[in-house]
Amino acid sequence: MTIKLYKQPKLKKPDLLVGWPGIGNIGIITVDTLRSGLQAEEMGEIEPWDFFYPTKVRIKDGVLDDMEFPRNKFYYKRLQDKDLMFFVGEEQPSGRGRMYAEGGKAYEMANLVLDVAEKFGCRRVYTSGAAVALTHHMVTPRVWAVATTKDLVNEARNYVNTVLMSEVEGRGNEGNITGLNGLLVGVAKKRGLEGICLMGEIPDYLSRVPFPYPKASKSVLEVFGAILGISIDFGALDNMAAQMESVIENVYNQFPQEIRERIEQRKLDIQDKHGEITKDDEEWIKEHIDEFFEKEDRGEERTA
Amino acid sequence: MSSSRRKTGEKKELLRFLSKPRFRTPSLVIGWDVDAAWLGTKVTDYLNRKLGGQPFCEIEPLDFFSLAGVTIENDLVQFPESTFYACPDKDLVVFRSSPPSYEWYRFLNLVMDVAHDYCHVKELYTVGGMVALGAHTAPRQAWATMGSPEIKNALSSYGLTREITFETPPGGRPTLNSFTLWNAKRRGIPGANVWVPIPFYLVTLDDPRAQKKVLEFLNHRLELQLDFEELDEEIRRQDENIARMRDSDPDIDNSIGKLEGNITLSERESQELVRKVEDFLRTTRD
Repeated sequence: MTIKLYKQPKLKKPDLLVGWPGIGNIGIITVDTLRSGLQAEEMGEIEPWDFFYPTKVRIKDGVLDDMEFPRNKFYYKRLQDKDLMFFVGEEQPSGRGRMYAEGGKAYEMANLVLDVAEKFGCRRVYTSGAAVALTHHMVTPRVWAVATTKDLVNEARNYVNTVLMSEVEGRGNEGNITGLNGLLVGVAKKRGLEGICLMGEIPDYLSRVPFPYPKASKSVLEVFGAILGISIDFGALDNMAAQMESVIENVYNQFPQEIRERIEQRKLDIQDKHGEITKDDEEWIKEHIDEFFEKEDRGEERTA
Repeated sequence: MSSSRRKTGEKKELLRFLSKPRFRTPSLVIGWDVDAAWLGTKVTDYLNRKLGGQPFCEIEPLDFFSLAGVTIENDLVQFPESTFYACPDKDLVVFRSSPPSYEWYRFLNLVMDVAHDYCHVKELYTVGGMVALGAHTAPRQAWATMGSPEIKNALSSYGLTREITFETPPGGRPTLNSFTLWNAKRRGIPGANVWVPIPFYLVTLDDPRAQKKVLEFLNHRLELQLDFEELDEEIRRQDENIARMRDSDPDIDNSIGKLEGNITLSERESQELVRKVEDFLRTTRD
């Protein structure tokens, strides 16, 4: 299992931004949009074969030409005050049929990423992911934050459009972040690195739908832009969000009337800020949405 | 920069040698026990039976299979098996295994460790069945994908179809046989995946005609001097059984007749054919 570095640039205290796929692909879209917008240069990769199954074989005239695996690449970008490193993983390492990495493979991957980060003098790591929230798809997603130290938590308090996880309505003081976007900040903490995870809100009723939710990525990117003091071109992301809007509306319109009414009420509650989304509402919608998707999975007729 | 994950003792712990047979520069044949018409199992079993293959090394299942319980098939307890057999008289190594559920790369590395470091194999062949829409009576053609142009040339006179161009379609995944060939290529072992079409209505049954096709190639290439009498008898018996079934059921006769005339069956006809052939052949076999 090897890390291959094509370049070894001298970097000024770089921060590392990491993205893997997850719910709504919020984290990976965020980090990859920033990476490509800044035209960050490729500097290395983690050899994939120990972590992933191949995704494609190419046979030409009878001869096995190549086999492709999910890519796991490091990039860097020099900025005026502070340099940046990026790590983009196309898949989370597969863990015994589970959707998200956990256990040994995930821990190894997290350590390899941080080995490279530390080698280049990085002391702060950002990850990004999804926050499944009792929100509405027409409401601008907020960004939830967690961090590895109290100082960082206080810093995150001041980020734009950001709430601490503990301050999210009805959540209390405990929570968890599934998969590598969460684990990496844990491993960073263990190594004494600063770690912050920024999660864009995705409505609970869309969290099982297998398509991206760029609107939340945009919210997280706005926070990154402010933290890093850089301007970001949101053009491509806005286009993607506009395309997804109609897909989401299409799915939403297939929900039974009763569910939509409850969700619309939720939007009003969020907008007037006075209403409160109750635990009963949350459970009712969860139960009925699960039932709806289970029927979809079984290929049963839609009830709308 | 390398991680120390691959511990020094790993190979020792995961490979269990039962004996240390001597080889000169053997060839390796690999068959998986989950395959269309059990082709991998049937071919490797035939080789071991006819050539006196003896187990000499096993891969421990712990890291590669779910050991949460056992599966049962026809009242028989199944347990993952990954065994190397030696046929020293023919300088042949046979590897018969359940396809690993996890950690394909690590598993295949262990296979290559035995093949390359211990046996010093000169070439390897994997066996695979591919589901086909044709009739069982249609002439079978063996296909091959190769690890290099050199072995492609070396296999030019064995009647294999060798000009396949293919790319895994979106959403698909490469097969374990392709991954094996890729791994062998990285280790410098020339090799080929040998594929034979299996009529879709025989996929859960035996297909002795497909077995013979692969074995004929191996026999020729590896100079094994196999005797095919047993297999010919099985082919004759299966042909007779299917012919009897066609006589007794006009729908089956019609469906197989259509396939013989290169006419595609409807989904309902296909399902009906599969069900009836399975029922009939299982009864006659039992």
